[in-house]
Amino acid sequence: MTEKLLDLRGVSKSFGGLRVISQLDLHVDEGEIVSVIGPNGAGKTTLFNLVTGVYAPDEGDIVFEGGTLLGLDPHEITTRGIARTFQTLRLFLNMTVKENVMAAAYGHTRAGILRSVLRTPGMRREEQAIAQLAEQRLSFFGQRLMGYRWDQPAFSLSYANRRRLEIARATATNPRLLLLDEPAAGMNPVETHEIAELIGRLRDEGGYTILVIEHDMHVVEGISDRVVALDHGVKIAEGSFERVATDPRVVEAYLGTKAAASK
Amino acid sequence: MATDPTDPNAPRVGVDEWVASHEQRRVRRTGLLGVVERELERVPSPAFYLAFGVAAAILPALTSNGYVIKVGLDTLLYMLLALGLNITVGYAGLLDLGYVAFYGFAAYGYAMLASPKFGLHWATVGVIPLVVLATVILGFLVALPSRRLVGDYLAIVTLFFGELFATVYQNGEHMSLLGFTKAKDVTGGPNGIPNIDQFHVFGARIGTLNYTAYYYVALIFFMVLLLAMYLVDRSRTGRAWKSLREDPLAAELMGIPVNRLKLVAFACGAGIAGLAGTVFAAANTAVFASEFDFTSGLLIIVYAMLILGGAGSLGGVILGALVVNVSLEVLRTPGHATWVFYVLIAGTLVARVRPWRWLALVIAGTAGFGFVVHAIVSAAWPRGVHGQAPVGGVLGSGLGHWVILPSNPMTIGNVAFVFLVLAVLALTLLRGWAQRLAMIPTLYLAAFVWENRLAVEPSVTRLILVGVILIVLMNARPQGLLGTSRVEIV
Amino acid sequence: MNWNLFLTELVAGISHGSVYALIALGYSMVYGILKLLNFAHGDVYMVGSFIGFGIIGVFGGATNLSVSVWVLLFLMLLGAMLGGGLLGVMIERFAYRRLRNAPRIAPLITALGVSFFLENAAQLVLGAQYQSYNSFSWKSPIALDHFTLPAHAVISYAEVIIIVGTIVLVVGLTLFVQRTQLGKAMRATSFDREAAAMMGIDVDNVIVATFFIGSALAGAAGVLNGIEYQQVWPYMGFTAGLYAFIAAVVGGIGNLPGAVLGGLTIGLAQAFSIGYISSTFSDAVVFAILIAVMIVRPSGLLGRAAVQKV
Repeated sequence: MTEKLLDLRGVSKSFGGLRVISQLDLHVDEGEIVSVIGPNGAGKTTLFNLVTGVYAPDEGDIVFEGGTLLGLDPHEITTRGIARTFQTLRLFLNMTVKENVMAAAYGHTRAGILRSVLRTPGMRREEQAIAQLAEQRLSFFGQRLMGYRWDQPAFSLSYANRRRLEIARATATNPRLLLLDEPAAGMNPVETHEIAELIGRLRDEGGYTILVIEHDMHVVEGISDRVVALDHGVKIAEGSFERVATDPRVVEAYLGTKAAASK
Repeated sequence: MATDPTDPNAPRVGVDEWVASHEQRRVRRTGLLGVVERELERVPSPAFYLAFGVAAAILPALTSNGYVIKVGLDTLLYMLLALGLNITVGYAGLLDLGYVAFYGFAAYGYAMLASPKFGLHWATVGVIPLVVLATVILGFLVALPSRRLVGDYLAIVTLFFGELFATVYQNGEHMSLLGFTKAKDVTGGPNGIPNIDQFHVFGARIGTLNYTAYYYVALIFFMVLLLAMYLVDRSRTGRAWKSLREDPLAAELMGIPVNRLKLVAFACGAGIAGLAGTVFAAANTAVFASEFDFTSGLLIIVYAMLILGGAGSLGGVILGALVVNVSLEVLRTPGHATWVFYVLIAGTLVARVRPWRWLALVIAGTAGFGFVVHAIVSAAWPRGVHGQAPVGGVLGSGLGHWVILPSNPMTIGNVAFVFLVLAVLALTLLRGWAQRLAMIPTLYLAAFVWENRLAVEPSVTRLILVGVILIVLMNARPQGLLGTSRVEIV
Repeated sequence: MNWNLFLTELVAGISHGSVYALIALGYSMVYGILKLLNFAHGDVYMVGSFIGFGIIGVFGGATNLSVSVWVLLFLMLLGAMLGGGLLGVMIERFAYRRLRNAPRIAPLITALGVSFFLENAAQLVLGAQYQSYNSFSWKSPIALDHFTLPAHAVISYAEVIIIVGTIVLVVGLTLFVQRTQLGKAMRATSFDREAAAMMGIDVDNVIVATFFIGSALAGAAGVLNGIEYQQVWPYMGFTAGLYAFIAAVVGGIGNLPGAVLGGLTIGLAQAFSIGYISSTFSDAVVFAILIAVMIVRPSGLLGRAAVQKV
């Protein structure tokens, strides 16, 4: 039986009077690619924020690899093995491409200030390992972020490359679970197709378990083992893409009651 | 036909030319300054630091003027302070407005452990590390409750802490523990702590007021810390600090313990200020709390240095401290200051007024305007021109015929100062030929105010100047703190 | 229980607290709209105080007033409020306006620069020494008389004027903010500047009005402070501004009733610390209160926690 890698049980979250997530049960098994869909305001990014510890749930539990994530600081959750990208890109724009990725290796490296200043052999070995790790993660995207690009500041990258860099940076934390928040947002059809392929490769070659928020149904259809649909913070459907896409409640959430009725 | 890989004009396959040439699209200064800047950028930083180190080391050999050495020592102390503040502000992005309190705390700490005050004369090799450690701990303690604060709140808390420190130490000549113990003289109050021990190591003791020796001590400390910062910059902690400055939330979510690193940055900055404080105390042989409060301007001056040089940049620390402190020193003597004032005005005009015809017009116009006004005033009201120009020689006598120097310049000088501020502000609102014509009376007014009021009270003038520097710098370079204006490709 | 000491410090705390409240209101208003800590605000208070001082001089000086004291007070307040407001508007226009979209640290540092500039310019032009309103020489009940309280404590007429004046100004401000168009525009802009602009609100105007009103209040505070506590000197704005700042933060920055509450809190904390412990430790007490509030209720006593959208 596959282990539930991530398990949310009865999670609720309110902001002021607004209930953003309501009694949510959601799980991701190891090796799965699960897509979360839903209209804007459905609580999808809030879900990510809850899992990564940016917010604390009002009710319920979030369990990862058998241990609870409640009460942990976000950076602790990341070192436990969960990494994410952001809906609105949050790169370290004034740092180089390579530095962005190397920075994310902090959580699983050890050299402190003293050893860095003294340049101990251990520290130097670790620096080399970090550099190699960064190069390897960046090579995942083909030639796009390789070679001369390593020393370019992140703000000089094109939009699509910035999205790729953010994914590369997230993988540098050596996660088991990747949370991708609208990875194909703003991309043209060719780039979107590439991203969909990339997500598949991330799971197949990289071994990551992936939870994706996505609006583009082609991507969702192409990559998902399972789809979860949210609306107003409540799970309204779950299952394969075909089942969820034709679920009348999902259609209603996206298109309104008349559309659901006409189905 | 194969492409020659060494030909710079050959097409580079697989290279996105637009992106690869992004360096060329950075905002650059034109003209002479631009050329200088580009050449400077080619020099790798370690070479620059080394050159600075060598130059600074030779300086005392080149001059026997004690005053110059003292200025050099002060500059080095400022550099140390800027280096420490650079970690807190430039790397971790924490606005610490109470930074100078760490400097003062360490200076007093050294004074308490190595002076007749409490009869303690501990060995230098023990006191310095102890005081630095104590300052680091103090930094931790201040940062601890503040670590969850957004930048603005941290600014207030630290600002108040700085003032609290100065107030407590200023009134420390009768301190009692909340009224439970008898009042004791802990900090010497307004009289401070005098007769501080000089550094002594293995029997060798630095002579009192031997600024040259302290100069070298400060230089060694600075170069060592500079090297350390350079190495940290290229390490995991340096990257983490930079990420923290860029985007604290993203950094936290990439596994970087943001709060912990903020504490460390804060404490490191405090520690460096602590080290500088011990040198300050020993070199000056006495400490007074008033030197560390807000009105002394120390905090503002260090910030001005940091920003002028570009926070986050190590070379900037050196440059900023050098430029600001040397400028402020020059401003102390009215004679030198006046020369610098006019040279600066002339320089700014040359740099900003284009084309040359306008430049000539403005300069000639100001000169002519001045002579005319001076003639009218001396004819109509002789007492208006009998005052003294603060500078002698050729410049002085020239100015005597150009600038109006009333025999009693106080009131009219003050009024003119206010008008000058308003005029300069109005000048920023004008454009084109109106702006250039308006420059003429404004420049003349500036000379009037300078000769009659500003040059005469250099201690206040230098502080006014620092305030103006901060305002102008931040408005001219709002991204200001990071050095390069960037051209973003979206 | 020493009631005399208690009541004396209570009165002192409320009157000082009222002055802090007036200054804190300006800080809060500007922060609410621009998210900017206007360090120079305390120096507007200082300028207001000096304007009042100057007006005394214009009408003959403290010992030889040529107008009645009530007229003098009115003119002082008017002058200080107009002058302060104007100064605030100029500061906004020339120092902060270009930095509206710059990283937050830029206007903060600029504000420091403006503050330092004002303090030292004042020292140059007005002299570094302490001057005095000398209201005891005004030969008027306002300066000399007092109400008697239980336990032989007193509250001087001047302190009453401060408290009443503050109440009037705060009520006026509240009515303005709640009832007028401009007041509504100010509240809208402080919630969401971009949305307000899209609703047709002239954000520049609103910001100018905010600075004017806030600075006018600070100017008034300067005069009110002067008639009881006498002293004016170039650096008075720094110290008072710092305390008022803390008051605004403690009460909940961006929140107007919070600013008033904060002002009174800090004023009372100071007064009771000075009375019961010592003046040096009063600073430590205020600092402790600040830290305590920051830890327990980071958004201030009456503030609302802002939710950051990720």
